[in-house]
Amino acid sequence: MQASRARLFKEYKEVQREKTADPDIQLVCDDSNIFKWTALIKGPSETPFEGGVFQLAFSVPEQYPLQPPQVRFLTKIFHPNVHFKTGEICLDILKNAWSPAWTLQSVCRAIIALMAHPEPDSPLNCDSGNLLRSGDVRGYQSMARMYTRLAAMPKKG
Amino acid sequence: MASGFISDPPLSKKKRTNGSAKLKQIKLDVRREQWLSRVKKGCNVDSNGRMDNCPSSKHTASEENRSSCKEMTRKGEDIEGTCIQDSDSRSTINSPDRSTYSHDESSGKDFSGSSSNSISTSCSGNDSEEEDDDGCLDDWEAVADALYANDKSHSVVSESPAEHEAECRYTVLEDDKNPRVDFSKADFKSEVPESKPNRRAWKPDDTLRPRCLPNLSKQRNSPLNPNWRGSRKTVPWAWQTIIPQPSQCPICYEDLDVTDSSFLPCSCGFHLCLFCHKKILEADARCPSCRKLYDHVDGNVGLNIGAKAFCITQSCRTGTGW
Repeated sequence: MQASRARLFKEYKEVQREKTADPDIQLVCDDSNIFKWTALIKGPSETPFEGGVFQLAFSVPEQYPLQPPQVRFLTKIFHPNVHFKTGEICLDILKNAWSPAWTLQSVCRAIIALMAHPEPDSPLNCDSGNLLRSGDVRGYQSMARMYTRLAAMPKKG
Repeated sequence: MASGFISDPPLSKKKRTNGSAKLKQIKLDVRREQWLSRVKKGCNVDSNGRMDNCPSSKHTASEENRSSCKEMTRKGEDIEGTCIQDSDSRSTINSPDRSTYSHDESSGKDFSGSSSNSISTSCSGNDSEEEDDDGCLDDWEAVADALYANDKSHSVVSESPAEHEAECRYTVLEDDKNPRVDFSKADFKSEVPESKPNRRAWKPDDTLRPRCLPNLSKQRNSPLNPNWRGSRKTVPWAWQTIIPQPSQCPICYEDLDVTDSSFLPCSCGFHLCLFCHKKILEADARCPSCRKLYDHVDGNVGLNIGAKAFCITQSCRTGTGW
């Protein structure tokens, strides 16, 4: 309990200090609860998510960093490894491959990497996974781009 | 616009100040015009027509009102003064800021509202302050009159452009407001400079790379490389000298003391403090860097490492026991 709090506090200070280090990630801690974090990540370039800004919700367990944080997308995203309705993310480092050496910042980095490199063989979003598995990359990209436009971009006019 | 009125010579003070109000109104119109033409290029007809009006009327108005310009500025101060002085007798709606604001910034769209507002303030000011500058109070009424008249003339003489303009203004306002009210994403986007395409994780030698990140190249080497088995004994110590030792435990971010930094529980050379090591042993007992089981390493191969770790933990335990 206390260890997780201390570590999160250190991470918070680290985030404050290196705010400009990674322009693609903006990590914000909840004002009243250090176990709740929000992150805004930019969709990686040369992917259908380019230009979008995606919001992530972190829920950090008390056993952190021995236990991984629970992360989900708050912004709708069409991706094989993200549940379309709940935003749940299928990522090994958030499950069994978690290591206490990971930080919230590096988790964000891993999620950005996942966005650029989907794993259609362990899909949470079957429609998206099936498009990729059947080789319809164009269909996947246009769907993903459409949802990026709809949900992850500021509305115009 | 009320051209007959403008062509009249300044007969009385009231008229003159009325003119000054008009001048102010014209200024406002011009400013709005510029704004509109900048934002919306669609209504060229309106703006042109009105732009024709404005300079001429400004011309006539300017010669008669050159003197009253100063008065106007003074008047503004006076009004502010009266507002502040008897602000307690007013409701919160007519607070000083609000009334001066409505006077200064009132524009064609909400003339009726603001003018009535200013009339009410001027009346109350009139009651309470009799020895105050008459000009000021006259001005106030005159301003209100002028604004009202102007509003009327807007609607009567050129109703369609005025209305159209008002509509434009509405849309422009809405357009203007929306992005500001918008969700913080927009802020984020504007705050953050457009970055170079960056979809890769850190390189091992990247300066921005956090120290606590597991070193993947190392991880790939250590548990899987078959050649590794023979040289297991020596390489960790070599690593220990090559890899710069972290000053903080990558798990709890506490500073590593001397005992901690000489503590190498895993053959991959991953440093961590004894406290975190103990906690990890109680949990899944795998090295945070290479994810190999600690026990396996200690028991089978890394004898001297294991022994050392054992000694250290022993001494630590006894130390804490005392």
